[in-house]
Amino acid sequence: MNYIILYDGSFNNLLITIKYLFTNNIKPINIVKEDNFKGSLTEYPFKPEISEFDKLNILDKNIFKIIYYVYLSNNINKELVIYFFLLNYYVYKSDILKHRNLKCVNMALAISHKVSREAHLLKGFTRFKLINNEYLYAKIKPDNDILELLSMHFAKRLKNEYWIIEDEGRKIVSIYNKDKFFIIDRCDIKLNLDNTDNVWEDLWIVFFKTIGIKSRENKRCQMSFMPKKYWQNMIEMESEL
Amino acid sequence: MTLEEKLKILADSAKYDASCSSSGSTRKNTGCIGNAAINGICHSFASDGRCISLLKILMTNACIYDCKYCINRRSNNVPRAIFTPEEICEITINFYKRNYIEGLFLSSAIIKSPDYTMERLIETIYLLRYKYKFNGYIHAKAIPGASPYLIKKLGSLVDRLSTNIELPTDTSLKMLAPDKKTKDINNSMITIRNNISKTFAPAGSSTQMIIGATKDSDKDILEKSANMYKYFHLKRVFFSAYIPVNQDKMLPSISIPPLKRENRLYQADWLLRFYKFSVDELFDNNNNFNYLVDPKTDWALRHLEEFPKEINKVSFNELIRIPGIGITSAKKIVSARKVFKIEFKDLKNMGVSLKRAKYFITCNNKYFNNLSYLNKEFITINLLNDNIKERQLSLFD
Repeated sequence: MNYIILYDGSFNNLLITIKYLFTNNIKPINIVKEDNFKGSLTEYPFKPEISEFDKLNILDKNIFKIIYYVYLSNNINKELVIYFFLLNYYVYKSDILKHRNLKCVNMALAISHKVSREAHLLKGFTRFKLINNEYLYAKIKPDNDILELLSMHFAKRLKNEYWIIEDEGRKIVSIYNKDKFFIIDRCDIKLNLDNTDNVWEDLWIVFFKTIGIKSRENKRCQMSFMPKKYWQNMIEMESEL
Repeated sequence: MTLEEKLKILADSAKYDASCSSSGSTRKNTGCIGNAAINGICHSFASDGRCISLLKILMTNACIYDCKYCINRRSNNVPRAIFTPEEICEITINFYKRNYIEGLFLSSAIIKSPDYTMERLIETIYLLRYKYKFNGYIHAKAIPGASPYLIKKLGSLVDRLSTNIELPTDTSLKMLAPDKKTKDINNSMITIRNNISKTFAPAGSSTQMIIGATKDSDKDILEKSANMYKYFHLKRVFFSAYIPVNQDKMLPSISIPPLKRENRLYQADWLLRFYKFSVDELFDNNNNFNYLVDPKTDWALRHLEEFPKEINKVSFNELIRIPGIGITSAKKIVSARKVFKIEFKDLKNMGVSLKRAKYFITCNNKYFNNLSYLNKEFITINLLNDNIKERQLSLFD
């Protein structure tokens, strides 16, 4: 049978589903989030009954991090990559990362690297505005679902500020209350973003324009380090778009 | 003068300092705002492609010294400004809150005397740390000639404390920066070296040299740099291509900064620090780098008798001497070959760049082509062609 396995979209559910597949020796042709499944004539959708299953037991922190980052990615085959990666993990155990001749290992490492890279870039490229002299607000539009990783960073760095980060593409926001952050749907909150103070933004643009050395100008280099897709939410680059 | 005008003048005067790194410190947010990231974070990239991580400014550009190459020299007729400590703190905090910057880079022209300048820098940074409770990254410049107790005080407040050596040799310094004394610079570096700890400049110290303002060769520069790493335990030596901002008969008449030279020196600096090369190995009879190929490829082309190297056998230290194979790739190879025999396609799949490496290796005893291609002319021409193709393709980006 050509099984397409459905899961509810959460990381936990994905891991439990994969454990079910291993236990019952089912080889899926794909694993997809149920909301994204569009139906097919030749493939059979199947959502396992999994309540009695525990989570997969992954002891190795590094392996856990890699598959979690793959899960956060926008790669359309990410669930299958995780499935094959874990299938091999149970054979090779912690040696799995040495098996760079396996496609799933190379893919998992490359995808997780991409996610970690984007999270790192946005730790720098995220721009907050001060709204109503009360809270900081930033809008981002990342390729991968890195809002949680970014929130963890800012919860430490700006721990005594109220802040909100909106992922424009996924329509979710992270709200921080000086103690914890919560990620919720954008439509669940109302934000009045009008009352901003532009003094510091203007000063930042002055600094940004001054600090480049004319006789060393290299826009290609600038763009390769700071890809154009991020410019729309970076106040200093808006005039270049 | 408005804050905007001051910022313009004092950022403009600070922009020639090459260092903008914010790595090496693990400072936690125990204050009110800010922490440091061990690997550093770039917040933007300027029009010249350089990373903007720190708010890089001078406290003042009103200098009593008259260094020939410097835009801020006493004899130049340029607008002068001075920030108050509060102004610096306000800009830093407000930029930091909005995530424009990772922290502050504060340097200064010499105002009145080295000690007086240092006291003003200390006052500013003390205010930022204790009144504004800023716990982000701070890189400050120690002023050569300042008293050791002031250097110690400043070091205890910042993440990185550095002193610029300015020029590669004593003679060059005497010629172009007559007010600066090599002895003073060395003494500052020694005081910093002797005090570095978790509570004193935990991200270490660095320095900067101007490249191309004097006749010093690449070998002179690298030797100086290697010695400084050894004696002053520096984290980094930065090279800054000489940019003609002043007219002076002592200065070379160039219109474009020697950026290729700067690039080759950085590549060589990496080879010294992480790839176990020595300065002598990087040069043949000529004391300057070959600008056509990078220093590692240049070394390999002069030692073709050592190649090709078998990827599945040679040691880690030999792997990192292969052009195109960096530390990360070498680690991947060493780990992977424990469980299977690596072929060319595996290297590609694991993300090892073969552009340069393929000429210098065998995979499972196979060379990428006929072994007669292992000759200097063929490899050089092909590498240069690849570079030209890449440049042409990028025109369509």
